[in-house]
Amino acid sequence: MAAQQRKLLGLVRSTYDGESDSDPYIRTVAASADLLEARRNILLWRVWVLERMCPLTFALLKSRGALGELVDAFIRRCNISPFRETQAPEFLDMVSTYPDHVLASVSRFERALMRVRDGESGPFEVTWNVDPHLVLIRLAMQLPLDEPIEEGAWRVVVSPQEPGGFSIERTG
Amino acid sequence: MATVAEPSAAHPASRFAGIGVTYEGRDPALLERMLPLVDYIEVTPETIAEQHGDRLALSSAVMAELRALNGAAKILVHGVSLSIGSHDGWAPSYFQLLEELLDQLDVAWHSEHLAYTRVDGQHLGIMLAMAKTNEALDLICERVDAIQARYKLPFLLENVVHVVPDAPGDFSEAGFLNALATRTGCGLILDAYNLECDAHNQGFDIEAFLDELDHRHVRELHVACGVEDNGFLLDVHSRLVRPSTLDLAERVVRSANGAVQVVTYEFMPEAIPGLGHDAIVQQLLELRRALARLP
Repeated sequence: MAAQQRKLLGLVRSTYDGESDSDPYIRTVAASADLLEARRNILLWRVWVLERMCPLTFALLKSRGALGELVDAFIRRCNISPFRETQAPEFLDMVSTYPDHVLASVSRFERALMRVRDGESGPFEVTWNVDPHLVLIRLAMQLPLDEPIEEGAWRVVVSPQEPGGFSIERTG
Repeated sequence: MATVAEPSAAHPASRFAGIGVTYEGRDPALLERMLPLVDYIEVTPETIAEQHGDRLALSSAVMAELRALNGAAKILVHGVSLSIGSHDGWAPSYFQLLEELLDQLDVAWHSEHLAYTRVDGQHLGIMLAMAKTNEALDLICERVDAIQARYKLPFLLENVVHVVPDAPGDFSEAGFLNALATRTGCGLILDAYNLECDAHNQGFDIEAFLDELDHRHVRELHVACGVEDNGFLLDVHSRLVRPSTLDLAERVVRSANGAVQVVTYEFMPEAIPGLGHDAIVQQLLELRRALARLP
C-alpha cells in the first residue's frame, strides 16, 4: 500500500513518470488520460479558490496570460493543504518573489490586506515602482492594464489604523 | 425569488428523508432563504477554518452564525482533510477542528471520505480512492473503530470519484463498502453524482453496484453537479443537480426503505456567485418536491 500510494503521489504531482515502473497498475495509470485530467482537476480547484481569495493578483495574472503557468508552478512546488484559507497566502508568498515588479507589489499588497483581515495589526509597507492607483482601480474593476502606467516610487501602507485599510504615498 | 409557497423544515420533505444543504458561512442572506427548506446544514470544518499565525481555528463569525441557528436545522459535519486511508496515518487537524466545533454545537453525525489526500505528509491536492484490498479494509476498519470509540457520534464514510483507474483489489466497490459498514457499524454516504462521474469517466456499472450494495447502511445521500472538461465529468460541485442524479438519489432513498435520513445538495462557496441564490433555493424546492412524491 505504501509503495503504491507514494508512486501515485508522484504521478499526480508530476514528480514521477511511472512509464517503466515494475507494477503494471502504475504503468496503466501513468499512461492514462485520467491522470492528465486529474492533474487538470487539481489545477481547476486551485484556480477557483484563488479567484475568490486573491482577486487582484488573480486578475493581473489572467490579464497577462500567466495564470495557468503560475498555478501549475504553485502545485508543483508547494505542499498545498486542503485548507482553503492557507492556499491563497502560500500562493501570494510565491508570486511575491517573482521578478515582475507590478505582480510582486500587487501580491504583497493583497497578502498584507489578508493579514490585517486575519487580525494582525501591521502596519505592512509595500513599495511600488508604478502608480498603484491606476493598477488597483483597474484590477478591482476587472479591466485590462493596457495603458501606460506612470513610473516612479510609491509606498502603500496597509494597516487597520488607515482609513479604508490602506494609504498610498508618492516617495520619489 | 421563489414563486411557490416554501414549506417549513418543521415538516420533513418526506417520510423517507430530510433535506440537507452545504453552508460555509459568511452569506447570511443565502442562509435565511435556505433555512425554511432544509432539515440539515452540512458544515465542512476545513472550509470555515481560518489561519491565525501557525494555528488553524474555526472562524468565530461563522460559528456565531451556526450557533444562531438554535435548532432550526440539525448540523452535519463533513470533513475533507482526515485522509483516513493514508498508509502513514491520518491528519489530526480534522479532529482538532471537529472538537472545537463539538464544543460549541450539537452535531447529528460527522463524516469523511473513503480516500486519502496525502502521502508521507505531502498533499495530493485531490482525493484518491482506496484500493479495495483486504489490507486497506483492515486499515480503514481499525481507524473507523478508533474514531467511533473517541467520539460518541455516528460516523459515516463517503464514496469518492475515481480520478485515476482503480487499483486491482480483493473486493468490488460495493463489496468493500458492505464489508466496511458491517465490520465497524459505521454509516455510508452515497454520492450519486460521484457514481455518475465514475460511470461517465471509467465505465463504472452503477446498476451492478446498487444491486450489490447493502442499502441499509446508507444514511445520507449527496447530490451535486460539476462541469465536463475534455470529456471527463469533474467532481467540482459548481452547478445545479441534473435530473439523472436526482432520479438516482430517489431510487436509493426508496430502496433503502427508511435508512437514508437526509439527501444533501452540495455546492462549493466559489460557485455561489455563478449559481445565484434564487437558483439554489429553487434547487432545494425541487429536491423537496421530488422526495415528497415518493410513495
